[in-house]
Amino acid sequence: MNTTEQKTIALAGQPNTGKSTIFNRLTGSNQHTGNWPGKTVEKKEGTFEYKDQAYQMVDLPGTYSLTANSAEEIITRDYIIKENPDILVVVVDASQLERTLYLAAGISMLRVKTIVALNMVDVAEKEGRQFSPEIMGKQMGVEVIPMVASRNKGISELLEAIRESVETTNINEKSAQQEFEGDVLAQLNDIKSQIKGFVPSPYREEWAALKLLEGDEEICQIMQESLGSDRWLELSKIVNGNQSLLVASSKYEWIQKIVSASEIGTPNKKTLLAKRHKFDRVATHPVWGIFVAFGVLLLAIVVAVSFGSLGMPFLHGVSLASDGARTLLESGPEWLSSMFADGIIVGVGLAFALSFFLIGVFIVVGFLEDVGYLPRLAYVFDMFMQRLGLHGKSFMPFLMGAGCNIIGVLSTRVVDSWRQRLVTVLLIPIIPCYAVWAIVSFIGTIFFGVKTTLVVVALLMTAVIHLVITSFLLRRFIVKGKSTGLIMELPPYHKPNLKAIWTYTWINLKSYLKRGFSVIALTSLIVWFFAYFPDGNIETSFLASTGKLLNPIGSLMGCDWRLMVALIVAVAAKESALSTIAIVYGIGQGLSSVTGLAAVAPDGGVNHAVLATTLIQNISPESALAFLFALTFSVPCSATIAALYMETKSLKWTAGAAAYYTFASLVAGIIAYHMALLIF
Amino acid sequence: MLPLSSLKAWEVGVVVDINGEPGFMSRISATGFIPNTEVTMVRNWKWGPLIVFVRDTKMALGRSEAEKIMVRKNVK
Repeated sequence: MNTTEQKTIALAGQPNTGKSTIFNRLTGSNQHTGNWPGKTVEKKEGTFEYKDQAYQMVDLPGTYSLTANSAEEIITRDYIIKENPDILVVVVDASQLERTLYLAAGISMLRVKTIVALNMVDVAEKEGRQFSPEIMGKQMGVEVIPMVASRNKGISELLEAIRESVETTNINEKSAQQEFEGDVLAQLNDIKSQIKGFVPSPYREEWAALKLLEGDEEICQIMQESLGSDRWLELSKIVNGNQSLLVASSKYEWIQKIVSASEIGTPNKKTLLAKRHKFDRVATHPVWGIFVAFGVLLLAIVVAVSFGSLGMPFLHGVSLASDGARTLLESGPEWLSSMFADGIIVGVGLAFALSFFLIGVFIVVGFLEDVGYLPRLAYVFDMFMQRLGLHGKSFMPFLMGAGCNIIGVLSTRVVDSWRQRLVTVLLIPIIPCYAVWAIVSFIGTIFFGVKTTLVVVALLMTAVIHLVITSFLLRRFIVKGKSTGLIMELPPYHKPNLKAIWTYTWINLKSYLKRGFSVIALTSLIVWFFAYFPDGNIETSFLASTGKLLNPIGSLMGCDWRLMVALIVAVAAKESALSTIAIVYGIGQGLSSVTGLAAVAPDGGVNHAVLATTLIQNISPESALAFLFALTFSVPCSATIAALYMETKSLKWTAGAAAYYTFASLVAGIIAYHMALLIF
Repeated sequence: MLPLSSLKAWEVGVVVDINGEPGFMSRISATGFIPNTEVTMVRNWKWGPLIVFVRDTKMALGRSEAEKIMVRKNVK
């Protein structure tokens, strides 16, 4: 162990530059995720050691620039300005050098020791572009490290540069400096002379002047306060917020100088574009693109489910373990054996089985992300998603969510803007999953025969209306913010990198084990507790009395306490609803099917023919319809709630969503019941 | 001068001006659209978003976003 102080490295870069690959290479599995304070933006941190020096690495959100446009951009610049990292590593993509250097230009005005990681030099070379890192470095005033992070090239050079930089005390030697000329320079000097002495720390005069010229909202507000109204009025004559194009142009002039000085040979742009457009000819075609998209997504679901089925043999083990525990604890108190056999073992087993499923999802999502197909998918479905007020990137999570809400919520990671992502995450529970369709088709056929198709159509239409309303409410009142149109980069395709995909899978799996696992296992235990106590009989249990307590609400939608209990238990897993109905009508097979085993046993452990007869005798078609509506739009199952928590990392959002969907479900049930009374 | 959205596929233009609110301006200029930049239209159907090659990047733009970017056709 060393005794020297830990150094902090911040990692910045535009999206798709391979920033996270570098982060994963350096920190390995020594990383943890959380949220930035007060924000729903993910914060990734990791640690590593190099030559007896401990480093802490902070992965800043991927951003295109450093203006106050989005939470990501504000986080990035605030971190650099206020937290003073020892070193800043800026990742740029050699195959898209001009654009990715734009962030570096923005950073060059902040006084911080900087190293530029020139990533993906292999892709650039294949396209006939080569750069001299020495000349580039000299032009920018920093060290430039050529890298192919996905193949581990340049990592040790980067580490060495970091070590050297830590030892340097003169910050001027190591920080990038953009120089301004002409009009911009004159205006900057003008502004600087007016704000001299009024810029509050930790901001620097030079930087503040530039931001004022750009018309940056946050800095304008800060300066307005510190200058007072008279001086601000004077300054407003120069700063009118319309100079952002001028500043951007000056940054690109600087970039162009760097690029043309360091470029070896001249590339042919025409052939470059032709090369890049090969697969996109089909993938972004308005007709063929949709076929390609559905093909890819179908394949993705098949692969994910195949991985999930690897966990199936394990489920037989769960039943065996459950029986074993019962036998083993026979001599003890009955509640104890039931707690283990019906509660703990089933819950933990369910949570475990799910992890196989998740590995499949993470691999698929990681692969699609790694090769660069996802932006094409987003492009093809953008028009459709815009109608919901969403971005094309939200399409994939929605489609995956129709298989299983958990997959849907977890695959929202492909949505890169946090506001869009939060809205998408919160909307997924509206999409009916396969378990819901299974119950709908079972109960529907019993009561409505062939007309079940109509029920399905009505449910789908309700889902769309629900989506539109909820999306509107969310964007209008909850997740506020400017809704920007589509401005999305289509990065070049990359060869899949197995190690990167595996790291992605492993990190996400760890996050599930940490946050999701316990929620699922605990829910089963809680449901067991309420279904068992006080006297070991579900019909007189707390669960039943809660169901009876809900009678006033239940009667509004024609559902008696038994159906209400089924709705409550659906929280453990939607599949449990069916087996719970069976139990409360006295034909079930024991508590374990209530707490979650139904989700894993294919037939739910229920004799369907007997159940059908019992249901017809006891429930009216109107009530059955109301029940189906309430169930379809009910609170997401515990695993989805766990996923919501994993993604938002906020109890507030998770609880809020759960409460909202409970309410929405009851409303759907009540409306369906009264409509049915009118129609039937 | 005409809006970017009226370029046909594989036509080349040069950005002359960009209109819009400050947020849009700074986002679009960060991605490389600034005056005097050469752009190549890659995909432009009558409806939906379009694809433009700008600097060294392929960008997908919403139709209404592309309407705010004024270009002149580059006749070589």
